[in-house]
Amino acid sequence: MEEFTKFVRGGILGPIKKWGTKWSLWPVHLVTACCGAELAHAFACGYDGERIGALNYGIARQTNLIIVEGAITRKMARVLRITWEQMPDPKFVIVMGACGLNGGIFWNGYNLVKPSEVVPVEFFIPGCPPTPEALLRGIRQLQIKLDKGVAENSVSFSEVKAEKGKKPRILPRGVKKVSLAPCIVIAREKEVEWELGKNLCEKLKVLGRAVITARNRIALKVDPDKLRSSAMKLRDLGFDHVKSVNVVDAPNEGKFIVEYWISSYSVKELMPVLINLHSEISRREPKISSLSDIFPSADYLEREMQDLFGVEFVGNPWKGRFLLAPDAPEAPLRKDFKLQEEVYVGD
Amino acid sequence: MKEFHLDIPVEPPKELESLFLPIPREYVEDTYRKDEFLVLVGPQHPGSGHMRLIVRVKGDIIQEVIPDPGYVHRCVEKIAENRLYIQNIPLVERPSIMDSANFNLGYVRAIEAAMDIEVPERAKFIRTILAELCRIGTHLYDAAILAVFIGHTTGFMYPFGIRELICESLVRMTGARFTSSFIVPGGVRRDVDEKTLRWVYDATFAIEKRLKSFERIFIKNPTVIARLRDVGVLSKEEAIKFGVVGPFLRASGVEYDTRVVEPYEAYEELTWDIVTADEGDGYARFMVRVNEVSQSLSIIRQCITSMPDGSYISEQIGEVRGNFFDKFADIVLPAGEYTTLTEAARGTLLFTIVSDGESNVPYRMRIVSPGWLYLRGFMEALKGERLADLQAIYGSFGYFPPEADR
Ligand code: SF4
Repeated sequence: MEEFTKFVRGGILGPIKKWGTKWSLWPVHLVTACCGAELAHAFACGYDGERIGALNYGIARQTNLIIVEGAITRKMARVLRITWEQMPDPKFVIVMGACGLNGGIFWNGYNLVKPSEVVPVEFFIPGCPPTPEALLRGIRQLQIKLDKGVAENSVSFSEVKAEKGKKPRILPRGVKKVSLAPCIVIAREKEVEWELGKNLCEKLKVLGRAVITARNRIALKVDPDKLRSSAMKLRDLGFDHVKSVNVVDAPNEGKFIVEYWISSYSVKELMPVLINLHSEISRREPKISSLSDIFPSADYLEREMQDLFGVEFVGNPWKGRFLLAPDAPEAPLRKDFKLQEEVYVGD
Repeated sequence: MKEFHLDIPVEPPKELESLFLPIPREYVEDTYRKDEFLVLVGPQHPGSGHMRLIVRVKGDIIQEVIPDPGYVHRCVEKIAENRLYIQNIPLVERPSIMDSANFNLGYVRAIEAAMDIEVPERAKFIRTILAELCRIGTHLYDAAILAVFIGHTTGFMYPFGIRELICESLVRMTGARFTSSFIVPGGVRRDVDEKTLRWVYDATFAIEKRLKSFERIFIKNPTVIARLRDVGVLSKEEAIKFGVVGPFLRASGVEYDTRVVEPYEAYEELTWDIVTADEGDGYARFMVRVNEVSQSLSIIRQCITSMPDGSYISEQIGEVRGNFFDKFADIVLPAGEYTTLTEAARGTLLFTIVSDGESNVPYRMRIVSPGWLYLRGFMEALKGERLADLQAIYGSFGYFPPEADR
């Protein structure tokens, strides 16, 4: 195989192969993140990347180029590597977007990987997202590299001398203020003109503490063991789906607050109402009964919270990880999992 | 149909471990014992964004689909807890980049609700225009991806050609093709002048004209109709039960649109209709979005013709140009929990911000994006369909993994 590759590259067929590769750099379709939207523009009629012999293609087996479109997550990194290995010789990788370069806006996220650590990269295209022009320039640059054998920078910036006499701008310092002993209030009562809400609160009082927190928003706090019966009661009142499942971590108080945001599609006057059914569980034994059989719409949301907070929803049949990669950190959204802090120039 | 039992032992693949399936081994073995198969669709597939579907088929009829999302999970919620409120604006736009204005709007409205900021009329109208432009852009994007899914390359080119006009409008109004971060607490960053608005107004007609040819080529194309009609049907009850959102819910006959149910910005002052359909199949889901585009075009025109005069930012904030950092760096929300619902292009978008009242970063920010909400309904719609229709159903939902995974 080695010999064969050597022959095709350097033998009498070498120049033909080079020429062929140059004008058929079809990138494999590996839309990894939001930069993909600009990539699609680059190959659509506005910019028409096909002019220079590049067009997205579905299968890795017949392509020579991967365009990594932005962020690579832990799960995706494996896919990127496998795809890269499946490509025939020669293999090229272009990375577009700030995310692929150095993490971009997600630089301190727990789930991101730098593509250059997974596969060898030929060119980076900075931007968030880069324009289609920039992407096409990247492809052109790769063609030029194929011709000349060396990679070149496609832009150079002239050096700008600092102007004298101007007052230096004060650099923003790290202004982040984070409370050390935060106090979490979920249900803060608010006076609003809302007849229906007051009626509903009256009805819900038997289940737990019900307060109006804003117009169309009711917070209903119940004991964890009453969660299911309260949910059933709400279902009988006409609430039929869950819009969000949320967990708030309060390490100082040693508790998790588990919230279900419940609303209705089938009863017209209840449509705007959002009920925040919540209860508190201990942080040491994070277990709560699942509502996924009462409201099937809560199923995936519960699985997600199980991943992100390590709260167990007893009764949800799903075990193991759903959203997170197998190698991602355990329960990353808990407050004791810290991300790397940014450093300000002025600090 | 008569079934024949063949006694050929079929074993699960040996390299099961290397596939990193999130399901237990017993499930795979059970599948093979019952003479069924697991087909892995993705993560690298012809659509936009990546996710894996673990499809259990009997013959070529889909029995069950287990999603394996998270290929674009970029920890937005965690990162948001570590940044200033104002720094989070670009962050929350990233999950759904073509729908950036709606995501931006949802987040900013949560801050405004907490701080009781009144937004001036003019800003509301500008925001509405941006939101609707992004809605059209997203629907066109999804139409194009649907076309790719069912192998219709021309159907891909047309919407992207039209999208160029949307991008151009956004560039003229905000300065960026996609992620403009133009909406800030209290209003918008700058005023938009008459000339630009005029241009956008004219662009809506250009878009309409081009949509006509797109209709001829793709929307009314018999092959497209044949691929989408009666596949992936979600009845009204199912749609409600599984919490489907947005145009996909309306395609199943539920009249729910956050813009009507809980009006925000200028939607109350404009005349427009909720688009619904009753069939709940792939074509209905597509048509609802197509018709929404014309509603959005009309909303934009109304906004531009009745654009009120006045300030573009609330007096409580004051002039932001030049002192953006001073104005916004030190926002501290009063303690409590604030939730807003926004109708993003693909459906209901929920933002919850929990503040402790002392920090200038959110204590907890929860985004539930439409993609994540209708994923369950999408999986249910696949059941009982043929494997070959999977792509068409996927396309008809316009599922965009970066948005769903956040
Ligand atoms: S660089 Fe920007 S546009 Fe590209 S994937 Fe990253 S966040 Fe998205």
